[in-house]
Amino acid sequence: MNITFKMDEPVGSSLLDHTRQNVISRPIDRIEGPLKVAGRARYSAEFKFPGMVHGVLVGSTIPAGTITGINETRARALPGVLAVVTDYETFLRNPGQGLETEAPAQGVREIAYFGQPVALVVAETFEAARNAAGALDIAYAPAEARLDFRALQSEARPKESSQKSQGDLDRAMMDAAASIDAVWTTPSQNSAAMEPHASTALWEGDTLIVYGAYQMLSSDRQQLADALGLAPDKVRIIAHYVGGGFGAKLGISQESVAAALAARALNRPVQVVMTRQQVFEATVRRSETIQRVRLAAGADGRLTGIGHETITANLPDEDFSEPASASTQFLYGGEARRFGNSIVTLNQVLSASMRAPGEAVGMLALEGAMDELAEALDIDPVELRKRNLPPRHPMDDLPFSSRSLAECLDHGASAFGWADRNPRPANRREGEWWIGQGMAAAARSNMLITSSARVTLGTDSRALIETDMTDIGTGTYTILAQIAAEMLGLPVEAIDVHLGDTAFPAAAGSGGSFGAASAGTSVYLACKRLRETLAERIGATPEELVLSEGMARRGNAAKPFSELVTEPLVATATVEPGKTEENFVQAAFGAHFAEVGVHVHTGEIRVRRMHGTFAAGRILNEKTARSQCIGGMVFGIGTALTEELVHDTRLGTIVNHDLAEYHLPVHADVPRIDVVFLEERDHAANPLLAKGIGELGISGAGAAIANAVYNACGMRVRDFPLTLDKLIAHLPDPDAVQP
Amino acid sequence: MTEIRGTLRFILNDSLVELTDISATRTLLDFLRLDRHLRGTKEGCAEGDCGACTVLVGRVSGEGIAYESVNACIAFVGALDGAHVVTIEHLSSPTGPLHPVQQAMVEHHGSQCGFCTPGIVMSLYALWMRMPEPGRQDVEKALQGNLCRCTGYAPIIRAAEAAAGFGRPEEDPLVLERSGMVAKLRALQDGSRIEIGEGRARLIVPSDVEDLARVYAAEPEATLVAGSTDVGLWVTKFMRDIGPLIFIGNLEQLQGIEDTTTGVTLGAGVSYTRAAQVLARRFPQMAELWHRIGGEQVRNMGTIGGNIANGSPIGDTPPPLIALGAKVTLRKGSERRTLKLEEFFIAYGKQDRAPGEFVESVMIPALPAGEQFAVYKISKRREEDISTLCGAFRIFVNDAGTVGMVRIAFGGMAATPKRARAVEAALVGRPWSAETIEAALPAFSEDFQPISDMRASADYRMLTARNLLRRFHLETTGAGQRLERGAA
Ligand SMILES: Cc1cc2nc3c(=O)[nH]c(=O)nc-3n(C[C@H](O)[C@H](O)[C@H](O)COP(=O)(O)OP(=O)(O)OC[C@H]3O[C@@H](n4cnc5c(N)ncnc54)[C@H](O)[C@@H]3O)c2cc1C
Ligand code: FES
Ligand code: FES
Repeated sequence: MNITFKMDEPVGSSLLDHTRQNVISRPIDRIEGPLKVAGRARYSAEFKFPGMVHGVLVGSTIPAGTITGINETRARALPGVLAVVTDYETFLRNPGQGLETEAPAQGVREIAYFGQPVALVVAETFEAARNAAGALDIAYAPAEARLDFRALQSEARPKESSQKSQGDLDRAMMDAAASIDAVWTTPSQNSAAMEPHASTALWEGDTLIVYGAYQMLSSDRQQLADALGLAPDKVRIIAHYVGGGFGAKLGISQESVAAALAARALNRPVQVVMTRQQVFEATVRRSETIQRVRLAAGADGRLTGIGHETITANLPDEDFSEPASASTQFLYGGEARRFGNSIVTLNQVLSASMRAPGEAVGMLALEGAMDELAEALDIDPVELRKRNLPPRHPMDDLPFSSRSLAECLDHGASAFGWADRNPRPANRREGEWWIGQGMAAAARSNMLITSSARVTLGTDSRALIETDMTDIGTGTYTILAQIAAEMLGLPVEAIDVHLGDTAFPAAAGSGGSFGAASAGTSVYLACKRLRETLAERIGATPEELVLSEGMARRGNAAKPFSELVTEPLVATATVEPGKTEENFVQAAFGAHFAEVGVHVHTGEIRVRRMHGTFAAGRILNEKTARSQCIGGMVFGIGTALTEELVHDTRLGTIVNHDLAEYHLPVHADVPRIDVVFLEERDHAANPLLAKGIGELGISGAGAAIANAVYNACGMRVRDFPLTLDKLIAHLPDPDAVQP
Repeated sequence: MTEIRGTLRFILNDSLVELTDISATRTLLDFLRLDRHLRGTKEGCAEGDCGACTVLVGRVSGEGIAYESVNACIAFVGALDGAHVVTIEHLSSPTGPLHPVQQAMVEHHGSQCGFCTPGIVMSLYALWMRMPEPGRQDVEKALQGNLCRCTGYAPIIRAAEAAAGFGRPEEDPLVLERSGMVAKLRALQDGSRIEIGEGRARLIVPSDVEDLARVYAAEPEATLVAGSTDVGLWVTKFMRDIGPLIFIGNLEQLQGIEDTTTGVTLGAGVSYTRAAQVLARRFPQMAELWHRIGGEQVRNMGTIGGNIANGSPIGDTPPPLIALGAKVTLRKGSERRTLKLEEFFIAYGKQDRAPGEFVESVMIPALPAGEQFAVYKISKRREEDISTLCGAFRIFVNDAGTVGMVRIAFGGMAATPKRARAVEAALVGRPWSAETIEAALPAFSEDFQPISDMRASADYRMLTARNLLRRFHLETTGAGQRLERGAA
């Protein structure tokens, strides 16, 4: 039984609101948790096969130029070394972008950035390969490299597809009662998922099997096949567990192709694990940005104009540009509008999607500007936002599929105690700390991506879900089991979930917050199909059918599955995006509130508490959703206060290419965080009536912190991250307000 | 004559490991994951920063065993002779129930992608054994060395606080079997030197300090390895060829702590964790500094001797110890000499240490009555970060209110840890007043020409160093309290 469903019309109601099993939305523990806490969940670098050998990638030591020769003599002479593998044409220069179906940029003779992998040294042991990697002699003809983003910003080329404008923004700025026109800068960042990228490759005949740390297996498989000149059905990728991705594992990266080529050359399985330095130097990053935001408003606080223009960086021939204005375009009204990105070509590692590409840094600027406007107009920041919610998309004139932003703002404000805030900066002092509070809206676009799943109802009253969807920590295993349990009237324990293998039906993958809703819908649809068969078998209409406790019921008549299902029942369902994508603005929304302390002498910033109220359609599992939001908000702390990839503008190296110096928040940085979800259903999003949540928590979180820093000490820092050296020289006189 | 044994012996979970062929630079993590296929322990960075590789190492201590968390990625197998290594696989069997700490992590949703999880479980396990009902600060301290990118930490902290509700340490196998394990480990101690391998690849574990003195004098090109929190990175990150390795981390005679009225003497092999206990008592002003060195795993591994001997300009112990007038004792063969700690540091990468000579101990004189002392660490990230600068101040203000004696030392301001002699000169003999401080501030530029780097600009360092002197003055004259308090 195969069915395909296209999301062309809003759905009237969802079965999940009628099945009454009380499984969906419940905060159940993640089902693979016991495996993970016991160290028994197996990641891609943890598979071992007879004869397996180890490869270590060797990266370029110049940022631009050409390889003139590789001398293997010293490396080959070391004990245990089997081969130096390189292939100037086939090796990947860059990792792939998410959802691409073609091979990422290939060819490594030309060097485009420092650390670009150019060869793989393979040895019997990892230690031997690591030693030999250091002994590989590579000669280069260096070329001049473009390394200084700020110095080169005037050479940015506009990205045509991103340019949008309406009305006369310059005029609106001139006529405004109050206006903001300022520039925010955000640094280069790294996803820093805890698991480094890794592939274990082996060939079975002419079929390549790769155990890889990837987020989107079906498109990754196409990328890998294309890179190697294989038919996609000759490539199988397996990723049962992935140690986080946050965008860095959307496309394939260099170690997969290198491992595959080496495995073919040596006729042995090859495992390649990137070092942490290589993850920083050669995978993906979020581009630094320079963002100009303009706001024009009347004295009543209503926006008359809004502009958000962004300069980002990328490698030659790469046109991804952090879409910083993504949510700005629909979050607030204002007749005159201008948006657009331009790209500086740089010899620095690939810029691509990192958690909430666009909003994660774009909302730092937009929501900072809104805070400044609120102050200029002496309007409460929450109120200013509520006054500017457009009834429909301000440019495309489309309705919102659902938008509980005003409710989130109100609820969040009261839960946080916003009314007690002193709007005057540098006016609250406790001991050696200035205390301040700030807020920001949260918004993140919602998407549906084609996704398939197969559900088999066995003769043993158990169901099996199979899809190549991944669980990168988001809780996919658990929510898919919950959806099936709810739909089929089975306990969660009776659902087996098999993910992360391209041998299963192709799914959306984990990215862009679309994974749960897209893959979840495919499971929902397959289960719905199974319900129809069961209904037929007991002579009920689908509407009459009630499934619970492994029984099918119609009125008072009931039959156990064991009688109805004598052969396994299989349904495969595919969901595809349709017209609701074009006919509605779809996004999840929320409101962030933060309280910080700024040390009066050193400028040190401590986040004291955070609150987030979110609405994202149906929440599929309250626990996993909450974790996503808390994790996102802590990402926001890093974005606001600590994370910054430092590129050396002379050598092209990344100065802080390790977790010691690239500062993720640590336990002690994390304050009390409250998260509340408001009830909502989105009928245009998908039949689950759910929206994505994985990136909502980060969107706006850092802005709430920066706004709180301003409220604490009266310093507007528009250059992220807000490190103490940017504050210390300008701190207010500590004696201005006595504790 | 010392007996020589060609086998390294330790207990891994519940089995005896005997190695006759092990590379001196083999890390414990590679040994576990690649040689033993114990893949529960993860590798997130291979340089001590993330804690994904956390395991416990237990050693006989008195009548019992002290289990401490360590980073397996920068620990060498060569350092494990006579130890009990406990990995995540030991906590529960595939078919049995989960360990209380694991159960708490599941129920409080402390694991998402799961990659950091085994390391976090091990850190929490060590905490729970020691302190089943920890406060929030204890939890934060125990987890300083564990990064998680997914959970935002809050669920992990809740799990840590709840663990005791799922089971008590008294029932834990490691606790129940402690006496048996002590006997097993004792039986492994035979007083012999261990030597494995040939030439520059040799691994040597001296039998005692006398043996070390002999071996090192004979092999001055060897590299001493104490806690390996520096040397581990030379192998995993810099791939340096470091010749024969002599493991000194567990020589009993280097573990001594002497606490007398005149001062505290620490053996070079005393770890940060052990040093902290006595130093926090004798010099409470230093307590906070100790808790901000590395994470728990690094504090359990890293030694005072290593922190001095590595000569780093940004090591955290030299500035306070110089300010306190500490003396270091060096030994070569049977010769010993003692010098002021500040004299030990000559230039960047150069210390007053002859080939074959090692740091044996450091003596920190007690703070005379009436003197005041403080040390401040400034770092970009507050927790688990190397100092941007570290400043230590000691002063005696006589009855007339003038500065009788002052000693100021900084790390992160010059190529070595260094005294601020010009500033001291500008203070001594003058009233301990805001005016004197202001007048002395220009002298900072005579003492220091700091560099700009990724951690901070030269200007920031200079400004902050001066502010620290102001702060010290305020603290010693104002309300008499430390100008620092958690905001949360
Ligand atoms: C994640 C991480 C965080 C860190 N954080 C901090 C921090 O916050 N503050 C800080 O100050 N340091 C920090 N360090 C650095 C490190 O912990 C210290 O330098 C440590 O004191 C070194 O001691 P060790 O015993 O580990 O030395 P080892 O690595 O064993 O040796 C270091 C050097 O000293 C030599 N050596 C060791 N013992 C002797 C001896 N007795 N005689 C002569 N030479 C000897 C060795 O040969 C080597 O050259 C950190 C390190 C890591 C990995
Ligand atoms: S692997 Fe990161 S600390 Fe060991
Ligand atoms: S659960 Fe993913 S890093 Fe902690």
